Amino acid sequence: MLIARIPLSLYIHIPWCVKKCPYCDFNSHRQPENFDALEVVYIDKLIEDFIQDLPFAANRTLHSIFIGGGTPSLFSPKSFERLLSTLSKHIHFNADLEITLEANPGAIEHQKFLDFRIAGINRLSIGVQSFQNSHLKKLGRIHTQEEARLAITFAKSAEFKEINLDLMYGLPNQTVCEVLRDLTAAMDYSPSHISWYQLTLEPNTVFYKRPPILPYDDLIADMQQQGSYLLTQSHFQQYEISAWSQPGYESQHNLNYWQFGDYIGIGAGAHGKYTIADSRIMRRWKVRMPNAYINSDMSTIAQEKQLLIEELPLEFFMNTLRLKQGVPTASFQQYTNLPLSKITSQLDRMVQKGWMHPYQDCLQPTSFGQLFLNDILEEWMP
Amino acid sequence: MNDTLEHIRNFSIIAHIDHGKSTLADRFIQICGGLTAREMQNQVLDSMDIERERGITIKAQSVTLNYTLHDKTYQLNFIDTPGHVDFSYEVSRSLSACEGALLVVDAGQGVEAQSVANCYTAIDEGLEVMPILNKIDLPQADPDRVAQEIEDIIGIEATDAIRCSAKTGQGIDSVLEQIIKQIPPPVGDPTAPLQALIIDSWFDNYLGVISLVRVKHGTLQKQDKILIKSTNEIHTVDDIGIFTPKRVVTGLLKAGEVGYIIASIKNIHGAPVGDTITHAKTKDAPTLPGFKRIKPQVYSGLFPVSSEDFESFREALEKLSLNDASLIYEPESSDALGFGFRCGFLGMLHMEIIQERLEREYNLNLITTAPTVIYELVTQSGDIQHIDNPSKLPEISQLTEIREPIVETNILVPQDYLGNVITLCVEKRGVQKKMNFVGKQVSLQYDLPMGEVVLDFFGRLKSISRGFASLDYAFSHFEAARMVKLDILINNIKVDALALIVHRDYSQSKGRAIVETMKDIIPRQMFDVAIQAALGSQIIARSTVKALRKNVTAKCYGGDVSRKRKLLEKQKKGKKRMKQVGNVEIPQAAFLAVLRIDQS
Repeated sequence: MLIARIPLSLYIHIPWCVKKCPYCDFNSHRQPENFDALEVVYIDKLIEDFIQDLPFAANRTLHSIFIGGGTPSLFSPKSFERLLSTLSKHIHFNADLEITLEANPGAIEHQKFLDFRIAGINRLSIGVQSFQNSHLKKLGRIHTQEEARLAITFAKSAEFKEINLDLMYGLPNQTVCEVLRDLTAAMDYSPSHISWYQLTLEPNTVFYKRPPILPYDDLIADMQQQGSYLLTQSHFQQYEISAWSQPGYESQHNLNYWQFGDYIGIGAGAHGKYTIADSRIMRRWKVRMPNAYINSDMSTIAQEKQLLIEELPLEFFMNTLRLKQGVPTASFQQYTNLPLSKITSQLDRMVQKGWMHPYQDCLQPTSFGQLFLNDILEEWMP
Repeated sequence: MNDTLEHIRNFSIIAHIDHGKSTLADRFIQICGGLTAREMQNQVLDSMDIERERGITIKAQSVTLNYTLHDKTYQLNFIDTPGHVDFSYEVSRSLSACEGALLVVDAGQGVEAQSVANCYTAIDEGLEVMPILNKIDLPQADPDRVAQEIEDIIGIEATDAIRCSAKTGQGIDSVLEQIIKQIPPPVGDPTAPLQALIIDSWFDNYLGVISLVRVKHGTLQKQDKILIKSTNEIHTVDDIGIFTPKRVVTGLLKAGEVGYIIASIKNIHGAPVGDTITHAKTKDAPTLPGFKRIKPQVYSGLFPVSSEDFESFREALEKLSLNDASLIYEPESSDALGFGFRCGFLGMLHMEIIQERLEREYNLNLITTAPTVIYELVTQSGDIQHIDNPSKLPEISQLTEIREPIVETNILVPQDYLGNVITLCVEKRGVQKKMNFVGKQVSLQYDLPMGEVVLDFFGRLKSISRGFASLDYAFSHFEAARMVKLDILINNIKVDALALIVHRDYSQSKGRAIVETMKDIIPRQMFDVAIQAALGSQIIARSTVKALRKNVTAKCYGGDVSRKRKLLEKQKKGKKRMKQVGNVEIPQAAFLAVLRIDQS
C-alpha cells in the first residue's frame, strides 16, 4: 500500500459557542469574555499544531478542509485568512479544494459571509436544525427560524455555490408533517447539500441526564421514510445515512471520512487518522479543554494509539457502510493493508443475511442492512 | 471461672422480618459491650452484603456477651436465626442449641404466622419461650391487644410480657434481667465424655471450615483430637473460642457453652450441620439427636448466558455450596440454553439470593428458568417417578397419573382482609381445613398446591392484606391433579427452557398471560418475533413482537469514531445480558415471565 494513494483531509476545530445546546456532545464551550485576544492566540496554536502533525502528510496534497465546532463563524474572516494562507505555505492545496466552514444563524451579518468567501472559504454549512421556533427553543438554539432564513439569504447573496443546511428530525413532539415542512422549507433555498439527521440523546449532555420525551420508534421510522421520499422526489440524492445532495455536490470532506481516508485534526479535542510507516493506522487526538490546549507548552497531543489489526475491519466498515453506494471492494486492501481473504467468511455471512450485496465489485450495504447498521457493525466488533 | 453452668444462658430470638430482631440484638451487644461504639454498625450480625441490603438474616450466628446482674456476671450466648420461611430449617437448628427463646412481636402489627410455627418448634424442643412486645414507641403500638393475641393464637402466657423498644432502648434492661430469671441455665457435665452439636459450618478462605458448636457435655480444648461422628474422621482443634461478635480465642469451650472451632477441615461436608463431635478417645460417646435434613422445594435451571462461562459457573457453584449445604445442583443441558445446572432451593428467596450472589460475587451472567416444584408421576407400568423439570415430563399418554405436592398452609390475617385472602386461596386451588377467629386476627389453614404457593403467593398475600397477612407452610403430601405441560414457542421453535407444568383448568389463561408478558419483555428486533403457547400440538395463545424498522445512529462527527465505538460496545453489552435462541435475542427476565403474571 502506498500512503500516497490515500487522500488526506484537514479538520480544524473551533471549540466555542455563544451557548451550549442541551443535546450537543461536541467539544464546545461557552464563548469567554476576552474572545478577540483569544482568537489570535488560538489561530497561532492551530498553526503550531498543524506543523507538529505535518510529517504525517508524507508529501501528500490536501484533499479538503473542514472548519467545524463549536461555532467557527464566531471567529473573524481575517483569522481564517491568516490561518489558511499560512497553512498553504506548508502544504499544497489541491485545485478546487473544498473548504467548509460551519456557521450558526443568529448574530451573523451579511458582510461577514462575504468576507469568509474572500478569505478562501467556498462551502458553508449552516446549523438550521429546524424552521419551527418552538422546536428551536426546545433544542436550546439561540436563533429563530427568521434568523435562520436570513443567514441562508446572506450565504446565497455572498455567492456561496455550496451551501449545506443541517436539519434534525425526531424532535420532542414533532409530527411527520412538521418534518416534511422543514425539508420543504430548506429545499426552497435550493441548497447544494442537506444534512438531515435524527436527534439522539448522547451521554454527557443535558438531554441525556434529563431526557425529553422523544417520538416513539415507529413514528421516527415514518419520518425517516417519508422525508427520504420527499427528498428523492425533489432530486436530492442520498449518498450517506444522513447526507443528501444535489448531483455532484457531495461533501468531499465527509466522503473522505466515510471512505476511510486520512485526516489531520487540529484544534482542541480534534481527532486525526493517519496511515503511517509500515501501513499501520494511527488515531491521535488533541487536548480537549480550550485553555489547556492553548497553554500546552510541549505538545497539543492528548493521546494517540495505533489500531490493532483485529480492529481494522470494524473501523473500516463503521465508515464505509454509511455510504449508500459503499466503496470499491479493492479499497479494503488499499486502506487497511489487509487481504480481503481475512474477511470473506464474514462478508459471506453478511450477504447471506441480506445485509450486504455480493461483494465482487463493491462493498455495499443493502437498503435493509443500512437501516440496521448498528446491528451489522456489532458483527464486525473484534 | 465458674465451674457450674449456673451463669450461662443460651437463647435465640424468634421474630418475624421487620419486627426488630436485629435491632434488639444490636442493643444487647451495645449494653454488654461486645463492640466499641466505633465498631457498631447497624445490624452487626448480618455480615453478608445481601443480608444487610435486604434487612434479613440468612445464616445462623452466635454472640457471647457478659452481662452483670446484682454483682454476678452471666455469660449470655445469643444464637441469631434467620427470619424468612425459606430458612426455617436453620431456625430449628439454632433452637436446638438453646434453653430459651425470645418471641419478639411487633406491638403494632401483632403475631405473624411464621413466628407461630417457629414458636411451636421451640416449645417442641423444650425451650422456655419468653414473649416480648417490641416497638412500643410507635403510635400504633397496642401492647395489650397483642399480648392477648399471643395468648389466643400461640397459647402461651403473655400478660407479663416485657414491653420494650429496641430502637429507643426503653425496657431493654428488663429484657436482659428476665433472660437471667426466666431462661434456665444449661444442664451438662464438663467432665463427661465430649458431646458437641454442630449448629452451623461455613467455609472461610483463610481458615478453612469454621463450625459453630454447642457443647452439651465435656470440655473441648485447643489441640484436642476430635472425631466427627458421621464422617468418622479425626481432626486436631487448631483454634477455639467465641464470638462477641468479633472472633475471640478462648482456648476451650465447656459444657453449656456455644462457640466456634477450627480444625483444618477442608469443606463443610467434613463438618455436617447437626452432627456430633466427640474426642477421638471417646468415640463411643452417643450421637446427639441432630435435625432432619430438609429437601429443596423449588427447582430451576441456571445457565450461563455465554457458554464459555460454564466452567467458571461450575466453580462458583462449588464454592457457594461450601457455605450453603441446602444448595444442591446437577448438570443439565437444554436445547435452547446449552449447558447449565438444575439447582434445588429452599424457596424463592433462597433462589434469588443464590442467583444474586453468583452474579455479584462471581461476576457471572446467568439465565434462571421458571422455578418448579417436584411432581410425582405414575407411569403405565405402575412405576413412580419424580421430576424436577417440566421439559422432562413424558407424554401424558404414558402416564396414569400426575401428582402435585400439597403444602399445609397456615395464614394469620386481620379480619378486614379475610375475604381477600379466601379469594386468593380459592384462586390458587386451595382447600380450607380450619378457620379460627382469634381476637382481631383470623387463623386459616389451607391445603394448597406447593407449585402455587412457592411462586409469589407470599407477595400476593402481602399486597391484598396491606402487608398484614402472614404465612407459614410445610410439605404435606402428593395428590393427583390434572396437570399439563404448557410449551412456549419462539418463532415456531419450541423452547424447552420455557416449558411449564400448569393445571389444565388454568392452562388457557396462563398461556395467554405468559405470551402477553413475554411480548413486553422481549425487545424489538430486526424481524417479527412470534411467541406462542401450546398444549401438545394445539396453539392456545399467540402474540407478536413487531420488527424494529431501523437501528442506525444519525451522525459520525468530525472524524471522532470513539463515541460511535462506545455506543456499539454498549449495544453489545446489552445483548450479552440476553440469550440467543435460534436467531432471537431473549432477555433473562423473559425466562421468569411466569413470575410476573402472578403479580399483575
